[in-house]
Amino acid sequence: MKKVFTLMLVLALALSMIACAAKAPEAAPAAADKVYKVAMVCDSSISDGGWGAACYNAMITAAEAHGWETMYTDNIDVADYVSSIESYCSLGYDMIFLPGNQYSDATKEVAANYPNVMFAVLNGNDQLPTANICSILPNADQIGYLAGGLAGLMTKSNTLGFIGGMELDTTKAKLAGFEKAAKYVNPDANINVLSAYAGSFGDTAKGMELATSMIAEGADVFFGDASAVDSGARQAIDNANGSGEIKVFDIGQPADILGQNPCVICSVVTDNAGMLGLCMDDVQAGTFGNKVVYGTLENGCLSAGKINTDLVPEDVQKAYLAFVESVTKGEFK
Amino acid sequence: MKLGGKSENIIIPLIAVILAFLIGGVIIAALGSNPVDAVGYLVQGAFGSKTNIGATLVKVTPLIFTGLCACFAYRCGVFNLGGEGQFIMGAVTAVWVTVSWGLEGPLACAAALLLGAVAGGIWGAIPGILKVFRGLNEMIVSIMLNYVATLFMGWVYTELLRDGSVPQTFPVPDASKLGRLMPGMRATWGLVIAVLIAAGIYYFLFNTSKGFQLRAVGLNATASRYQGFNVKRYMLFSFIVSGAIAGLGGAIELVGTQFRLMSGFALGFGFDGVAIALIAQLNPLATVLVAYFFAVLRTGATTMQVGSGVPTSVIDIIQALVIIFAVAGMAFVRLPGFKQRMLNRQRGKKEE
Amino acid sequence: MESLFTWNFASEIVLSTFRMATPLLLVALAELYSERAGLVNIGLDGIMSFGALAGFMISYLTGNPFLGILAGALGGVLVNMVYAFCTVTLCAEQTVYGMALNIFAPAISAFIYRVYFGVSSTLAQATLMKTIAIPVLKDIPFIGPLLFNQTPMVYFAYLMVPFTAVFFNRTKAGLSYKSVGEYPKAAETLGINVVRQKYVACIICGLLAGIGGAYLTTCYVNTYSDGIVAGRGFIALSAVIFGHWTGSGVLMACLLFGFCDALQLKLQIISKDTPYQLFQMIPYVCTLAALAIMGAKKAGPKAKGKPYLREER
Repeated sequence: MKKVFTLMLVLALALSMIACAAKAPEAAPAAADKVYKVAMVCDSSISDGGWGAACYNAMITAAEAHGWETMYTDNIDVADYVSSIESYCSLGYDMIFLPGNQYSDATKEVAANYPNVMFAVLNGNDQLPTANICSILPNADQIGYLAGGLAGLMTKSNTLGFIGGMELDTTKAKLAGFEKAAKYVNPDANINVLSAYAGSFGDTAKGMELATSMIAEGADVFFGDASAVDSGARQAIDNANGSGEIKVFDIGQPADILGQNPCVICSVVTDNAGMLGLCMDDVQAGTFGNKVVYGTLENGCLSAGKINTDLVPEDVQKAYLAFVESVTKGEFK
Repeated sequence: MKLGGKSENIIIPLIAVILAFLIGGVIIAALGSNPVDAVGYLVQGAFGSKTNIGATLVKVTPLIFTGLCACFAYRCGVFNLGGEGQFIMGAVTAVWVTVSWGLEGPLACAAALLLGAVAGGIWGAIPGILKVFRGLNEMIVSIMLNYVATLFMGWVYTELLRDGSVPQTFPVPDASKLGRLMPGMRATWGLVIAVLIAAGIYYFLFNTSKGFQLRAVGLNATASRYQGFNVKRYMLFSFIVSGAIAGLGGAIELVGTQFRLMSGFALGFGFDGVAIALIAQLNPLATVLVAYFFAVLRTGATTMQVGSGVPTSVIDIIQALVIIFAVAGMAFVRLPGFKQRMLNRQRGKKEE
Repeated sequence: MESLFTWNFASEIVLSTFRMATPLLLVALAELYSERAGLVNIGLDGIMSFGALAGFMISYLTGNPFLGILAGALGGVLVNMVYAFCTVTLCAEQTVYGMALNIFAPAISAFIYRVYFGVSSTLAQATLMKTIAIPVLKDIPFIGPLLFNQTPMVYFAYLMVPFTAVFFNRTKAGLSYKSVGEYPKAAETLGINVVRQKYVACIICGLLAGIGGAYLTTCYVNTYSDGIVAGRGFIALSAVIFGHWTGSGVLMACLLFGFCDALQLKLQIISKDTPYQLFQMIPYVCTLAALAIMGAKKAGPKAKGKPYLREER
């Protein structure tokens, strides 16, 4: 056993020598021209073409507008939430961006030890904020309304499809809003919403299966909240439409994806970059913390994306824009 | 397979590590970063500050448990690949005890650890029983049971003990959490328990007659049967104990570090444990050291990515290469052809 | 619930079952060829993920999904050669290398995808393989359009089943192949090159599992994402055991597991509170139960999982 320990010791020494030889990270520049740094920690992949990518791009956009430096760590395991966040704190980052409520516990734990680092939790609940934690909360009800309004106007079969990734509260709220708005804009039809959860945000094939089944059940307008699973659903819809007339539609989110697939008629756009930008303003002004940054239609962080004018008839476009207006004014809640 | 004395037991894993890092370095260089800097950041991330050292110690605790779980079973010649499932069942039991019994405080914590170990033992007994009484391949059975346990856990956190918003269970109440070694560091007493268990297993295996018999069964079951050892009983015993170790590890991870079950809990811990035990040549104390090395890789990975902009999947690749090279190297020297050649060479030297 | 027993529902389930079962079948056959030569390979997930990436990349770059399938097959063989060298030549522990592939190959795939495609908010999309209807058969009412209007890979997968059955039971080559997995020493004395046969088995296994992975990205969905394999390799492993190490048995097992998955997804749409995790357990629980009932005597090739040392006396 002695030998093992000796060798391990030698190895440790060798490693630390390499460490010394390597350049130490440069000291932070003087306060006057301070360059702020933001990092994102994420359990999905940032190239998933869905949630992870949207959040990463939001951070990049917001950081460019504010002249901040960015960094990310993706694909981390649950067991590594705290240590990943901590390592950014000890590397001198000013703000950590956490795209999801699942990081709340880890954030609370780390934030208590690093009062000078600011934490922005996307979809964090309204009890979460402390002196250095902010929640960013896009209004899930309104997202559901925006999609449901158009879906209700467009459906011919009076059956809609909704595919969720996990049963998150925000996903459930989107589903409820979707159903409510569809029934509101089309009160005479007996609208039925089919819904299912893929149990994953990455299993594209499952999205395809779910959408195919729903189309067989008669669904003709789709909305989803499941990142890469959504792209599988869109593919199934395109397959069902075939090369002929497009009869089954999809509404995208959170980016404006019009044109990505032929079946997309509109997107519900969440401006995560805008909300994150508000947080960055607060950090620079020293007023960060203790609040929830809401993303709503009123403040422009939520909006309906471009409408596919080839597929959506003019009268429906008008009716939909009127509906969006009434949601913005708070007439429809 | 003797232990301790042979220098190849230490040299092979070392060569494997160096080779793996060389290949990793080539990949890093191909991406346009400086590999030496990258390793520097890696080391800094694992040892750079009190928090970083703490993070590494937090990471190592569950790996020691799954490593010991594999180590103990393999010593008796049974290949328990079900460490992950047993770990999960321990954690599920621990969350059930601390969240739904209405009990809080150190007593709840102790009950969670104890019952977690029992649950792991029961889950480990299933492949043991099937092997001993039905003669089934324990590896396949225990892998299947990992999936069953993972899906069962999924049901627990999405339905049975779900706490509102995200699919996750209620958290362990503050009063029932496992204590920390020192303030400002996340490492808990779980680490101490892990090291004590490693020492205990070492003592049992190498200093007691029962331990000797257990190892004898592992080396040659047929011969042991002729010696009059109850081979079946030893196999079942080692399965239950190894499951209990993993179950205890799961309970400790839950009440000490993560506090909730959610999707991805314990993902990959089981196999990391198997690899650790094999690289450590099934020596319980060396298992602790190898587990520490794995933990250093994992905690250092984030800093390395930040410092040199290399994706963390490079660390996954390096880790897999360490396993591939180390286990291949050990198999290579055990080949009869290799032994023969070594003997010939030694003889040749003597004759000169 | 009223729509549960309609015609539409039944045909949907049948179609969905076949879609779910095809990749499983390809990979399960891969494992069958491996285990028949005494090599238990649990690294199927790893091989598949590399096959999926290779298939996607080539299909994306060339626009030809058939080249994608070919690339997936070659990629699968390449990855499996690590396993072959370590377990056959070095006689190292098979399960360890299977698991090592499961860490190694997905990491490499994720890495290559990241480096090549960078980060974007939309996934790159490749061309999918077109379906080809088989002339006369597709006109059979009900089954025709369901079963005989598929991509060529589906026909390939199902044709492999009778081929495998005939190969192992009716041909000399098949019998000597099997003997390597049953009694390698006896096989050696009969003049069979056991080591070479095992390498051949690994090549076939890598080939089929790589195709199974590439099927996902060239015939099924047109994008690659890191979690695309989603544990299918382990379900395929169960299918081999549950299907009792025969071609037809594996087919039945894959269809059963595919059916469970299809039904589970369907039930979720119909009733919202279905505990889907319990359905997903079915393949594993079935396999465990089957194993427990069958016992060891019937449990597959006798020398599976054991290294073969030629010099051993």
